[in-house]
Amino acid sequence: MTTWNVRVNGREVSVEAPPMARVLDVLRESLGLTGSKEGCGEGECGSCTVLLDGRPTCACLVPIFQVEGRELCTVEGVAGTELDPLQRVMIEAGGVQCGACTPGIVVSLRALLDRDPRPTRAAVRESIAGNLCRCTGYERILRAVEELVGSEEADA
Amino acid sequence: MRSFRILTPRDVATAVDQLPATRGPATREDARVLAGGQDILTELKHDLIAPEALVDLSSIAGLEGHERTPDGGLRIGAMTRLVDLERDASLAGAFAVLREAAASVASPQIRTQATVGGNLCQRPRCAYYRHSHAPCIKKGGSECFAATGHNKYNAIFGGGPSYIVHPSDLAPALVALNAEAVVVGPRGERRMPLENFFTLPSEGSILRENVLGKNEVLSELIVPKPADGTVSTYLKFRERESYDFALVAVACTLRIDGSKLASASLVLGGVAPIPWRATRAEVLLANAEVGVDLVRRAAQASIEGAAPLSENGYKLPLTRNLVWKALTALGAGGAR
Amino acid sequence: MSFMQEEKRPGKKKIKTTRVVNGLDVEEEVWVDDLEAPLFKPREECRLLGTRMKRVDGPAKLTGAAEYTSDVRLEGMLYAKVLLCPFGRAKVKIDAAPALASKGCVHARQLVDETKYLGQPVAVVAAATPELAEDALRALVVEYEPLPWVLDRGQALAEGAPEVRSRGNLGRPTEDGDAGEVEAAFAQCAVVVEQEYSVPVQHHVCLETHGTVVDYRGGEDAIVYCSTQSTHGIVGDAAESLGLRKAQVRGIVQHMGGGFGSKFGLERAGTLACEISREQKRPVHLMWNREAEFLTSGNRTGAWQRVKAGANKDGRMLAMSSDVERYGGIGGGSHAGLPYLYSVEKSLRKHASVYMHLDTNCAMRAPGHPQASFAMESVVDELAAGLGMDAVEFRKRNLNSPAHLRQLDRVAELIGWNEHPNRTAPGSVDGFEAVGIGFGCSRWGVGGSPVCQVDVRVMNDGSVTAEVGSQDLGTGTRTYLAAIVAEELGRPLDGVQARLGDSRMGNANGSGGSTTTPSLAPAVQDAARQMRGVLSVAAAEHFGCAPEEVVLDPDGARAPGGKLTWLELCALLPPEGASVRGTWQSDLAVSGVACTQAARVRVDLLTGRVKVEKMVCLQECGRPLNRLALESQIRGAMTQALSYALLEERRVDPQLGIALSADLETYKIAGSLEIPEFVALVDDDDLREGVAGVGEPPVIPGAGAIANAVFNACGVRLRHLPLTPDKVLNAIEERKSS
Repeated sequence: MTTWNVRVNGREVSVEAPPMARVLDVLRESLGLTGSKEGCGEGECGSCTVLLDGRPTCACLVPIFQVEGRELCTVEGVAGTELDPLQRVMIEAGGVQCGACTPGIVVSLRALLDRDPRPTRAAVRESIAGNLCRCTGYERILRAVEELVGSEEADA
Repeated sequence: MRSFRILTPRDVATAVDQLPATRGPATREDARVLAGGQDILTELKHDLIAPEALVDLSSIAGLEGHERTPDGGLRIGAMTRLVDLERDASLAGAFAVLREAAASVASPQIRTQATVGGNLCQRPRCAYYRHSHAPCIKKGGSECFAATGHNKYNAIFGGGPSYIVHPSDLAPALVALNAEAVVVGPRGERRMPLENFFTLPSEGSILRENVLGKNEVLSELIVPKPADGTVSTYLKFRERESYDFALVAVACTLRIDGSKLASASLVLGGVAPIPWRATRAEVLLANAEVGVDLVRRAAQASIEGAAPLSENGYKLPLTRNLVWKALTALGAGGAR
Repeated sequence: MSFMQEEKRPGKKKIKTTRVVNGLDVEEEVWVDDLEAPLFKPREECRLLGTRMKRVDGPAKLTGAAEYTSDVRLEGMLYAKVLLCPFGRAKVKIDAAPALASKGCVHARQLVDETKYLGQPVAVVAAATPELAEDALRALVVEYEPLPWVLDRGQALAEGAPEVRSRGNLGRPTEDGDAGEVEAAFAQCAVVVEQEYSVPVQHHVCLETHGTVVDYRGGEDAIVYCSTQSTHGIVGDAAESLGLRKAQVRGIVQHMGGGFGSKFGLERAGTLACEISREQKRPVHLMWNREAEFLTSGNRTGAWQRVKAGANKDGRMLAMSSDVERYGGIGGGSHAGLPYLYSVEKSLRKHASVYMHLDTNCAMRAPGHPQASFAMESVVDELAAGLGMDAVEFRKRNLNSPAHLRQLDRVAELIGWNEHPNRTAPGSVDGFEAVGIGFGCSRWGVGGSPVCQVDVRVMNDGSVTAEVGSQDLGTGTRTYLAAIVAEELGRPLDGVQARLGDSRMGNANGSGGSTTTPSLAPAVQDAARQMRGVLSVAAAEHFGCAPEEVVLDPDGARAPGGKLTWLELCALLPPEGASVRGTWQSDLAVSGVACTQAARVRVDLLTGRVKVEKMVCLQECGRPLNRLALESQIRGAMTQALSYALLEERRVDPQLGIALSADLETYKIAGSLEIPEFVALVDDDDLREGVAGVGEPPVIPGAGAIANAVFNACGVRLRHLPLTPDKVLNAIEERKSS
């Protein structure tokens, strides 16, 4: 066991874990942040997507030792006390059903919008290409975001 | 995951020291290099390897990042994240192939962590190789199960005794750009054309896909300056568009001078155990007059010599047609 | 309407009331809601029902606050994991001692000596953390002695094949029809098609895997958190595994990450968790990993379907003979039968199960129907093409229900069929790409049952709860539970707190067969109407009027005698508030909903890529409760059908006896780039007052519609799902060279 210092959702956190502990386990087991879900454990479903230094990352494929001194943002940290507009439009558009993929999708979209506040429709689509959803059919999620940011270009 | 040591060297020489002292392909237990981790962590999970140590390259200064060389080429550190190539809009013209290849890899989440070196050195995706209870020839067994089993995703060129396809998207792109690989070992640095870095199952060791010894580290890629006016593209065809490995991919660079093709480079992905240079098509294209007929003949030549297995005959027309699309898109068929 | 006729209005009645007109009391008759008849308000009077309501659990799901079974964390909890047999069948010898000796491991044991199917759990361990449980699994010393297996049809039916079950690997066929009559009918046909159609085994791919967390620490009570479609359905099994009585076990299902038919009982993960918890007297967390989800949690039956069908020159289907094999692993499989939906005058059919050493099939979103629909819609299309007849027209001549006839016209219009060039003959493989349109129809029984008990309570501080031990699979149950009550009581949606997913609450059925809504919503409405009666009586006493004269609206209560705010009204209640229990009302549930879909595809003739560009669905559902949720269900169903049509397929290696598609890389489901434009429409011509669920019907016809669209585009008929580029391209090349 080693102590790791990581900034999680804007807070400095010290956590004990073996160096190869997956970031996902540290978040869920040690820090009680269970918003990030484990859907496959192999980077194929995107349910555990978190931001690592602002970039979307599968928390199941990063060992904690590689995150020392860096910054993580989980779905719990995407919004403050109020829902952010992205979360609001996803609800309004019907972009959530069972909700197991939702945290990962919110984080992927947040990463996109932080980087590019006016993404093209193709970019919105690509931003969640690594997030599998079995309920909603994605379409409302895409439309919700496109409407939120006013994406204009047609899909390539 | 079984327990092992984590080593975090600060320079490449130390990393090499921490790798096994002997040469040859790594065994299941040998220490391994950890780069972006997006492949090796799943290999560990499935017990395909059980190394005694992981040598993490992420603390080594200078391995991450890419830059233009003074002569107009590119230097790409092995730890450069794919997302940084994908987002570099200056990778256009001759280098567009590289940017497009990087952008086509896996999913956005994977590309933020996955590295150039890792992409080039990742292990095969063949479902038999990845299955911990299929003792296939790539894992030290005696048989390639894909040869007689499910082989829809397997090789049509260069197969035997293993029929894996090389999963890298950057490999065809970088080979098409005539990149050189820089490999660091106990006796210092050696350089080779990236094309020679990869080995067929019938030539190098069946246990690996390249010349890298277990005590060596791929440290950087050097792309020479392409001739002015070179254009390029990477066409990747995936069964599932959202994210997938290539069924077939075409990396193509060419330069048109007047009505002639001054140079053309055509390298295929997803069809062979290595990035596969479509030599016959390149020969046809070299110094030829542009035109639709040339493109058609080159596309046909790109699949000459293919030896499909029971389930992957579709890769022939697919390859031919993708080559046609790539050449046409780049203007080899004449003005559009 | 004549003045003299006795007028009837559903849910309404006439009462006599006294009104003051010019200072004089005048008695007159007025229409009021019949508080004894728990009908929904007329559609036009509804503020909430029938609109697009945001799901009430949206914020919790969007922020990660929603607690799923896998998220439950309890003091002293053990994490359990299982080891799966990698082979089709094997004898198993396991030394668990090294695992038990590993750090943090408190439980490790072998589960079976001999496995019955590929991927069967053979050992279970439990340890203090997930990592330690993983370590313990690796510490098990396992020896497999592979036994002969059968993993495909050929192996199963080969002479001397090992028997999956004692009565042989080919189940006894069921047959019906008169061969002579069918033969005679074929003789009358102007066109006859004889083909084989197959569908692979499909997986549910719930994003949250199967699993259970048991909170038992010895003593007499246990709480079982489970990712299940049946909160009440798990209690009995859990009690048995824990050695407790049913009354001592409480099932909790607050949020669950998808079921699609695969999560009805406690399942193996649940019984194992209970057994370990019972032994250890500690809470136990056991979630399947993705591999177990693929190999041992059920699947949709695969099928091989030989079909011969014929139609006369007027486009009437006169004869069909079919021979269907179901592939349901060690289970019998399910298949809805042929002919499916369309009427065929004479039919002869034979169905049989072929058993293999693979995990049993189970319910999956319209069990047995998509398989039959794919073959039927394909053969219907082939007959239409054979006659050179418009595919929509041909369908209309062979469908009986008026709903389908009007839906076909509307869907044809929405997809652009009437302007499409290939209405009577398909396009060709010449050129670079081709666009085509295909159709499919379905019908689903739905129907509710009298099982739900819904409790609505209003406290004298104005707070309202609606609760029932049902579950919300993500479909929106929680939202309409609140909305129905809010509608009836004149409250805003957030003025009613919906509670479900607790077996201590009123009874409810498991969520299967699209029956949740038609079973539950009528009971909710019954309770809501009763509560409205209670509040109306309280207000009527206050105002001195008849209860029926009281109107509840967002301002509170009003009556001829005055107004009360909601808080003033509730303050009239006794300190303990008021509570009522609602039960099922048959008038409020409908049976039988029709669905029609169309797909427009673009086929890349150079690569074999089938790109679905647009899908239209028109779905009957009786009275729509929440359009947002309904449309979402429809889109999700179309997506699963698209994914079934284009990508999904279980693969095994029959020689090695291993699985080759037990992860999300090799088992491909549709992602964001596969998604077309969806037009998901609730069929508002369905004016029935009752409600229906729509989980199943829109998943049925999509695959057939897509395959038909591919044919329509380029004349290439593909009869074996999935329509992956290799198959499509091979077929295109073959057609080009012929």
